[in-house]
Amino acid sequence: MNLNIRLPEKITTYAILTALSALLGTPLLYVFSIALASDQTTYLAKFTLLPQEFHFENFIRIFQMDLNFARFFLNSLTLVFFAIIGQLVSSSMVAYGFARLRAPGKNILFMILLSTMMIPGEVTMIPSFMLFRYLGWINTLLPLIVPNFFTNAFNVFLLRQFIARIPTELDEAAQIDGLGYFGIYYRIILPMIRPALIAIAINTFTWNWGWFMGPLIYINDFDKAPLALGLQILSATSSSAQVPPWNLVMVGSLLLTLPMLVTYFFGQKYMDEFGVIGGSAAIK
Amino acid sequence: MKKREALWFYIMVSPWIFGFLVFTLGPMVYSAYLSLTEWDLFNAPKFVGLQNYIDLFTKDRIFWKTVGNTFYYGLTSMVLGMICALLIANLLNKPLPGMRVYRTLLYIPATVPVVASSLLFIRLLAPDAGLVNQFLALFGIDGPPWLLSTVWVKPALILMSLWGVGGGVTLLVAGMKGIPMEFYEAAAIDGANSRQQFWYITLPMLSPVIFFNLVMGLIGSLQTFTEVYIVTGGGPNNASKMIVPYLFDNAFRWYKMGYASAIAWVLFFIALIFTTLVFRSSSLWVYYESEVKK
Repeated sequence: MNLNIRLPEKITTYAILTALSALLGTPLLYVFSIALASDQTTYLAKFTLLPQEFHFENFIRIFQMDLNFARFFLNSLTLVFFAIIGQLVSSSMVAYGFARLRAPGKNILFMILLSTMMIPGEVTMIPSFMLFRYLGWINTLLPLIVPNFFTNAFNVFLLRQFIARIPTELDEAAQIDGLGYFGIYYRIILPMIRPALIAIAINTFTWNWGWFMGPLIYINDFDKAPLALGLQILSATSSSAQVPPWNLVMVGSLLLTLPMLVTYFFGQKYMDEFGVIGGSAAIK
Repeated sequence: MKKREALWFYIMVSPWIFGFLVFTLGPMVYSAYLSLTEWDLFNAPKFVGLQNYIDLFTKDRIFWKTVGNTFYYGLTSMVLGMICALLIANLLNKPLPGMRVYRTLLYIPATVPVVASSLLFIRLLAPDAGLVNQFLALFGIDGPPWLLSTVWVKPALILMSLWGVGGGVTLLVAGMKGIPMEFYEAAAIDGANSRQQFWYITLPMLSPVIFFNLVMGLIGSLQTFTEVYIVTGGGPNNASKMIVPYLFDNAFRWYKMGYASAIAWVLFFIALIFTTLVFRSSSLWVYYESEVKK
């Protein structure tokens, strides 16, 4: 990083970045163009990069279809809400235990926890399906929500690193003041790790909001589907003309993306911090 | 006092222990057993020993095709993605006004959920009416039939993954911001130009972040599913079918639960071998700051 950047370097930097932004932004413009297209244009698949029609009513029509799009939204919100609660509560408790409390067997347990991060979820997919089928949870959101209440090794690991940076003198002072272990966790540690908790909430949101495979496996009825699955159902449900309603599909894509964008803008600060810690912590 | 602390430790970590037993260890043991059976989900599992594995390794040519496709796609998209992300991050890290705006612009595609970007790329890569081929036509290039071609379907998916390069860029920029300015100042005094500074300061200092992304990217790309399921369905002629979509077909389309479990275990060992290799080799090329301090 030269501190004094000369003019030609400045110009090329801006030129490359502008070209790249245009290149990566163009598909998004195309999404808008398709989303605003008429059914006629959709049927002929004659889409243009710049919108030539402005059928804003598509954004209302998507909620008036036979497929209940508002319901998809609600299902996604339910899934994401409980997933976040589950991850925050369980991961912070477990991380506190591993970061602060001494007990026989702790190191072995932590090694096991670390190694589970390397297990592809597909290995447990079929037996988990059996388990949830046995419990009668198929076609509900429960198989997607409940495991979140039993932590995710990655979140535990990151939170543990975060807690490990808090000086232990705080715990000791609190202990002298009469706080028990749970009190230290609840009163001292939790408030101190709030930025990391927000980052985990954002991560959990991002992951579950766009999650496709889980809902595909567990949800059969259209009205139980979260938004990501609902959108795929919409694209696969051919209209009478056997062409997916691309204009509505793109409206749906925009609706699916919007919460992610909002989260990004408000959460960027926390994720930046988390990214570095995640990056450097995971290998130390 | 100590006993109480140990007791509280086990209370606090109990959600993980329970989850590990019920959602990880238990299923793994059961899955290992299932992989030795033939089971259609409705009749009782029939024990067949290693037959599923023998079939997988000797008879099932589609499976090996999916393994090849997964590696082709995974390695290419990861390496290209990392190179692009590094180059972009290096530009964004320059102390010039407006870099935050560019960073945000470039990140936006990475916020698009895979389902939405998959549906978008079906349209973008349509042979005649798609935007990409229309664009190529401007330069007189007759664009390939992308998703309909056994040769071009994997590059099409790689292209799609590169659209989300901003995600990696953000991590790398954050990592670059953590490199002390003094290093660059010292190098500048010694007469190092920007390129040398990138090679001899930025890259080594970033190697832990790169390493982390490689490991996670590797495991992630082995599990590619949604793109394939939505964009290509694995076609044409299985040219884009990957391991997990094939596993999914076996389990939930054809109800061959035993066979699908065997595939899952092969996937597990492939992931294990690769992460071990990456970790083993890391000491050769990852530089940790703390090594010097000690």
